[in-house]
Amino acid sequence: MEQQSNNPGGHAQRPDAASKLSDTLRWAFELDQSPALAGATWLTREIIPDAKDPYAAILAPTTSLDALRELKNAYKMLRTTGVTAAERSLAARLYAATIAAALVRHGTAISTQTPVALQRAFTELAEDGGMPEDLRAVASRALTLPPKA
Amino acid sequence: MTQTNWDLIRDAAADTPTSRASLEEVARRSWPAIYAFIRASGRSPDEASELTQGFICDVFLSRDLLGKADQSRGRFRTLVMGAVRNYLADMHRRRTATTRRPKHGSIGRLDDLAERSSEPAGMQALTPEAAFNSRYIASIIRAATERLQRVLLEEGDEAGWEIFRLRVLQPSLDGVSASYDEIAPRFNLGKGACAARLLVVKRRFASILMEELRATVEDPEDLQHEVAELLALLSR
Repeated sequence: MEQQSNNPGGHAQRPDAASKLSDTLRWAFELDQSPALAGATWLTREIIPDAKDPYAAILAPTTSLDALRELKNAYKMLRTTGVTAAERSLAARLYAATIAAALVRHGTAISTQTPVALQRAFTELAEDGGMPEDLRAVASRALTLPPKA
Repeated sequence: MTQTNWDLIRDAAADTPTSRASLEEVARRSWPAIYAFIRASGRSPDEASELTQGFICDVFLSRDLLGKADQSRGRFRTLVMGAVRNYLADMHRRRTATTRRPKHGSIGRLDDLAERSSEPAGMQALTPEAAFNSRYIASIIRAATERLQRVLLEEGDEAGWEIFRLRVLQPSLDGVSASYDEIAPRFNLGKGACAARLLVVKRRFASILMEELRATVEDPEDLQHEVAELLALLSR
């Protein structure tokens, strides 16, 4: 029974079973009581494994346009599936930040939102004192660029 | 059915139409941890199987351990581990080899259960307590995962279950993780959306797992302490 591929009891079949169980229990416990940033950071690292946090991933010059698109899609979903209002709000800011970064660094629009909606999202990000200064600066810079289709 | 351990234990100890099934389920969930403790105490696999069966029949069933397992009196894990320790000391003194039968007759499938609890590599290197805790947590994780699968499939979220299975369970079992590039197209998702979907399922799993653990502690506020203690025991 425990050797079936979808049977978690099989965890204990492995030589390093204790550490595997320990990892599972640890992340489950952390996810159960995580602050807003933890979920976004976990998501970011699923896409860019060595990212320090979402802010660093969005701001890094090495982050490709494709990676920004994937981050945008992940944060977009987190805007609605986040478990707390704080997490959903943070996801909305990060979502806007990825679009702004794609515009500023790659000159590419990665969103189908209207220019009005984007302008509002960039403005809210630029004025949010809870966000890192560098991220707010990217939003401010995006506001100065002409809208792209 | 999404019964917690304590639901099952209460039902198993009572005289209800479902108590026999609950008793078997409690025995099924507890067997691997009990076997692990006994095996790590230096017994051979055959001897450990025999003693585990003896413990289940003599203590779980005949001595009505479950009837004494009052949720207000402490953690079920501690109660069972203490009972196994006492049982081994008792057996060591008596050194009997009688065939054991529960007072209400066989509960069936104990031999099957023994096979299912086949031994994880390196278990003998653990202390009996660590071996017990490792298998105890494995059984709780298994119960939580079975519940998660049931809930997701009932909701029609096969994609959520498959993503969780491929990204979380399979790596734990085989050490091989399927990439998002392989998984996401199967569900018409991008990599980012697939990861976000997995986060939702992982949180669901975490919530179910914590519910399973919460059901084994005296006070819901003891949960944090119980998890910390189990993590520390597993880290040794």
